[in-house]
Amino acid sequence: MEEYMKSIKLALIGLLLVAGSSFSIRAADLHFIMCGGEVREADQTVVDAFVANNPGVNVNIEAVPWGTCQDKSLTLAAAGDPPSIAYMGSRTLRQLANNDLIVPAKISSDLMEAYQTGILNTVTVKGTHWGYPRAFSTKALFINCDLAEQAGVACEAPTNWDELYDMAKAINDNTDAAGIGLVGKDFDNTMHQFLVWLYSNGGQVIDLQTGANMLDSQSTRETLALYEKLVGVAQEGPTAFERSQVKDLYNDGQVGMYVEGPWGRGVHNEGMNEIAVPIPAGPSGVSGTLLITDSIAVFKGSGHEDMAHKLATTLTSGESQYALDTPDGGWGLTPIFDYEKLGISDPYYKGDDYWAVFINGIGAGGPEPLVEDFKSMQSVFVNMIQGILLGDDTVDNLVSIAGEEFDELL
Amino acid sequence: MIVKKSKLDFYPYFLLAPSLIFILVIVAWPLIETFRLSLTDARLGGESYVGFENYQELLEKKKFHRVITRTFFWMFLSVGLKILLGLAGATLLNAAVPGRALFRVLVMPPWVIPIAIGCIGWLWLYNSHFGLLSGIAQRIGLIDGPFGFLAYKTPAFYSAIVTDVWVGTPMVTIFFLAAMQGVSRDLYEAAWVDGAGRWHRFRRITIPQIMPVIVTMSLLSMIWTFNSFEIIWILTEGGPRGATTTLIVDTYKTAIGNWKFGEGAARAVIIVALLGIFSFFYYSLIKKLNKFEERE
Repeated sequence: MEEYMKSIKLALIGLLLVAGSSFSIRAADLHFIMCGGEVREADQTVVDAFVANNPGVNVNIEAVPWGTCQDKSLTLAAAGDPPSIAYMGSRTLRQLANNDLIVPAKISSDLMEAYQTGILNTVTVKGTHWGYPRAFSTKALFINCDLAEQAGVACEAPTNWDELYDMAKAINDNTDAAGIGLVGKDFDNTMHQFLVWLYSNGGQVIDLQTGANMLDSQSTRETLALYEKLVGVAQEGPTAFERSQVKDLYNDGQVGMYVEGPWGRGVHNEGMNEIAVPIPAGPSGVSGTLLITDSIAVFKGSGHEDMAHKLATTLTSGESQYALDTPDGGWGLTPIFDYEKLGISDPYYKGDDYWAVFINGIGAGGPEPLVEDFKSMQSVFVNMIQGILLGDDTVDNLVSIAGEEFDELL
Repeated sequence: MIVKKSKLDFYPYFLLAPSLIFILVIVAWPLIETFRLSLTDARLGGESYVGFENYQELLEKKKFHRVITRTFFWMFLSVGLKILLGLAGATLLNAAVPGRALFRVLVMPPWVIPIAIGCIGWLWLYNSHFGLLSGIAQRIGLIDGPFGFLAYKTPAFYSAIVTDVWVGTPMVTIFFLAAMQGVSRDLYEAAWVDGAGRWHRFRRITIPQIMPVIVTMSLLSMIWTFNSFEIIWILTEGGPRGATTTLIVDTYKTAIGNWKFGEGAARAVIIVALLGIFSFFYYSLIKKLNKFEERE
């Protein structure tokens, strides 16, 4: 009997050891939620190298389509089963941070210095960086030169809003196309495009120093008044359009110009006779743009935050980040770093006029405002914009209402 | 033989247990949990008890009153059209016309096609620049340029109703048709002998005979239409400017879109209460109709 008990004990110890060893292997099972619906080869290569360099670590990359990606990470975190790291729009960071769902990023001072101006503002709340900037974009105005010439106007960059309107009106009146493509659907890029014009008119949404609400201002009124004016030379029913749908109209020759990111060249018809120009300046400002980033956020409670930080740093620095930014095999984004500072002597944007348009506006650009309830912020903007596009109310009233509603979100 | 009654008493409960457990887990627990959540300010980061504050805020909001009014308007208009078109369709399909079987099959697709696929089709139809409806209207001279059906508040609302009616009418038609086929031919023949015309036969025989099905379908259709989410979401996401936001869309936007779980739960409880009232009317009417039939 004693022998029998002894063998049972040995078997149990053996089982514990096996379970323990498998536990130690699983202890660093990182869950990485990546937006875009497919795992990019460049990301997979980086992750494979990371796994090879960190024995016992396994990285499970889950590629989720854009439409549901962010919500999936948030829902998992809210349910107490957070991913280790996830690709998030930087506008979500404040909400995640305030709800104690993510941990601050650990960005090295070398990298901090190499980021383009204003990038870190898009991930910073009260001095703390809450995400590793991963994808950066600025905006420019794309003009279909064939339509401009058909309308009898030179295909040149309008430098102010009057010139912009005149050009759009000429195209609208003298061709079958609408002068400009406006977005006004219940969608985030409706707010984003408005901010592009607002920042080109010296406007602000939140004072970066004091955190005060700056929406109810003369700059906002002038920007909304521009929309009111442009709606007469824009495509029919802008409230039913978001950016990608306007892009289809542009490709189809149905709008003469529209605002798009640096990937525009890659998604427009091949051989299209077009120019990309800086956003024309408003009466109260200089040409600017919206600085918008997506980030890698490290979630709290995964049990291996240190390893998650290490992976996030690996993905968002050096060659891995460059591979994402470049148009050759990557997404073709505005460079998130000044890559020459990181030792890349001939980066893809150097000496290219096209990229200069997207990079030169950075200095006068403004960030996507960081508020906790960013969906409500989007509703405030969309409501104001749709109000003027549909002719529901006056510029004054709509801006005043938006200002009051925005106050409640701060 | 003496049967020990106490032992036998547990047997029915034992048989009922699986269903009871299933209902408790699938229906009762989520309902109770939703009600509990509605008494909190639950958000992404946690929750605390706020009593009936969420309900109080809702009832004070003018925006919410508009959502409720819109939801009822949406429901009554859509259900009314479905019933009328369903009756007309069933009458035609019940008529002795050549190719009747083919027509009966042709009425099915809107019901058979997954709602999301059908709605994406309608989304294209309504498109101002690439859409068929706008294109045809331009060609026949009704409009002189593209028109965005989903870009303006009133057209967007009625366009969503048209799609909802398109999705919901086939089922109503099929149920009415089945009911019409159950009406005795003798009644029609007797009426015909007495000189009753088609309209009289329809009004005096068909309608009264299929009334229980009309009532049932109306009430069930009301519940489904009240809660119809995907059609509105795919077409307009509740816009523009909230013109197509019904109670269910508002609930989704609040709870899932904005992660205000407590406020969303309060809306969900209001939906349950309103649907509870419909269900009460439904059972009362069914009871009355059954009694009426028994007397007949």
